[in-house]
Amino acid sequence: MATPPEVDLQSRQHARTIRRILLLAFGGLLALMIVAGLTALHSLRQLDGIERQINQRYSAHSQALTAILISVHVYHDQMERYLLRGEGSESAIDAIDVQKRAANVRQALHTYPADTDPEERALLSEIQQKFAEEENAFAVLASQHPRAPALETQRFVGDQMTLRRAYILQVSQQVSSLNGKELMDAKKSLAGSFQNVQFRLVSMVSLSLFAGLLMSLVGGFYILRLERQGRARYQELVASRQELESLSVRLVDAQEEERRSISRELHDEVGQTLGALLVDLGQLSKLAPAQDNLLQGPIARIKSAVESAVKAIRDLALLLRPPMLDDLGLVAALEWQAREISRRSEVEVDVHSERIAEHLPDDIKVCLYRLVQEALTNAARHSGAKHAKVSVVQNQGSIRMQIVDDGAGFSPERVRGMGILGMEERVKRLGGTLTIESAPGQGTTVLAEIPTEPANPL
Amino acid sequence: MLADDHNLMRRGLRVLLEQQPDFAVVGEASDGRDAVALVASHRPDVLVMDIGMPSLNGIEAAAQITQSHPDVAMVMLSMHSDESYVLRALKAGAKGYLLKDSAEADLIRAVHAVADGKSFFSPAVSKVLLDDYVRKLQRSGTEDPYDLLTPREREVLQLVAEGQSNKEVAQLLNLSVYTVETHRSNIMEKLNLHGVPELILYAVRKGIIS
Repeated sequence: MATPPEVDLQSRQHARTIRRILLLAFGGLLALMIVAGLTALHSLRQLDGIERQINQRYSAHSQALTAILISVHVYHDQMERYLLRGEGSESAIDAIDVQKRAANVRQALHTYPADTDPEERALLSEIQQKFAEEENAFAVLASQHPRAPALETQRFVGDQMTLRRAYILQVSQQVSSLNGKELMDAKKSLAGSFQNVQFRLVSMVSLSLFAGLLMSLVGGFYILRLERQGRARYQELVASRQELESLSVRLVDAQEEERRSISRELHDEVGQTLGALLVDLGQLSKLAPAQDNLLQGPIARIKSAVESAVKAIRDLALLLRPPMLDDLGLVAALEWQAREISRRSEVEVDVHSERIAEHLPDDIKVCLYRLVQEALTNAARHSGAKHAKVSVVQNQGSIRMQIVDDGAGFSPERVRGMGILGMEERVKRLGGTLTIESAPGQGTTVLAEIPTEPANPL
Repeated sequence: MLADDHNLMRRGLRVLLEQQPDFAVVGEASDGRDAVALVASHRPDVLVMDIGMPSLNGIEAAAQITQSHPDVAMVMLSMHSDESYVLRALKAGAKGYLLKDSAEADLIRAVHAVADGKSFFSPAVSKVLLDDYVRKLQRSGTEDPYDLLTPREREVLQLVAEGQSNKEVAQLLNLSVYTVETHRSNIMEKLNLHGVPELILYAVRKGIIS
């Protein structure tokens, strides 16, 4: 189930690449959006400037044209009055005045904006020309006939002047309409470029939108995949932990079974055979003459060797699995264990038991026995305790066990040896709880509670 | 009669016993159930029985036999010198307790003793019990309650532990049975003992009997 390191490395590199691509893509998208926005802003500002320019130009042109028309009108009016003087009214209008008006007209023509297109320019010069003709005609009239007969004057006014005036009016009309047309054209082209900008903006926004959508999709898929992978990993982890737990349970069972069978084998087969051998050796020694040292010496040596072998085997069998657990029950086995520890070490152990049933399930007996064995061995080996007390009490549905010593104690959070782990494993397996209370200098209390009936019968 | 699940052991014990002119092995059982059945049919005077046997262990078998045939004297054979076994064997009604590794040396004496209604323990057992007792007293620093007993009570204790009945004790010490009973209950109270098996065990521990 474990992933080989190369595959792990590969997948990590893969993940890094994907992360990098996503980062780049999102960065690109952001940049695209910023650029689009800035460009649009710039174009709009430009268009705005152009429109203002166009409007300014139009109004300048039409103002200048109006100025020309007004000055021409004033000139004609002045000239008419000058020519028709003396016909009743004695106004003080003379040629100088008329010429002054003419200068105004020229001035107006001259100040017409320079940014004109050729068509307009041609019309303007036509006006200029017509006006110059009229001026000339007036000059001739004024110099030749300071007091021209009324008839001639009238004719001049009636024919030439009216004609010219109409003509100038017509031309300026043309200029005005030309101006209007130009405005229209400019506005049209402005609208065109505005549409252009609009199109560009829309296409950029939709491009960004599309790219963003695409990336969200890709990112979403990536996240989903990661999530799925994470869930799969977690499930794998849970499964492997469960496997480990069941494995350790089986390990404890197997160990206990193995110990029991080896112990039985040693005790029943090897031990008994040696016992019988001892009896036979005794017989042999009795049958041989008592003073025959050649025979009695080896017999005695064999006997003592067999005796020490019996003792060694008994000790080993007891350590592996005390037969009293099966022969005499839990309490006797605990008492034996306590005495055994007392004999071998400095710790004096007392056992107190209440209401312990004669026949307990084997796994509970073994569990409690091993707890006591472990706790007392620890106390004897490491703590320097002088006294220890084991108490087992059976209540409705559970057995409560407490092992207290007056030794050096330790920090249960920091020290966690195999022994304690083994104890926890055994207790957990039976659905019980194990608490170890200890602190340096405070002694140690091991508290276990084990249900005697399964919590949830299946 | 013999009860042991090992052929070799039974054979050895039988040879040992049959060398004695006044002993005869009337039956052999290979497990506890066998032993109970055979005791019923053979009615032996003495039963020598292994504690560790299949199907029904020696202690359970002894308890059943004590119930059905209280007159059968029993010597238990064991590999263990520990108090739990000795006490259980005594509670089950056994009179003698022999370690297997010393069976050969002590068996004859043990059978004789229990046949006469007395207790018998392997010397190694007595030593272990005594050692445990002394060590415990030393470590806990308490006074030996044996010192609280009067000389007469000590006499009664020894006789009772040896297997004498109240009547026999009364005869031996020239006392009334009632007085012996009073002494007995005083001893029990002073030594914090419950029942004759514990009293015998105590006597063995103290080295009063062996």
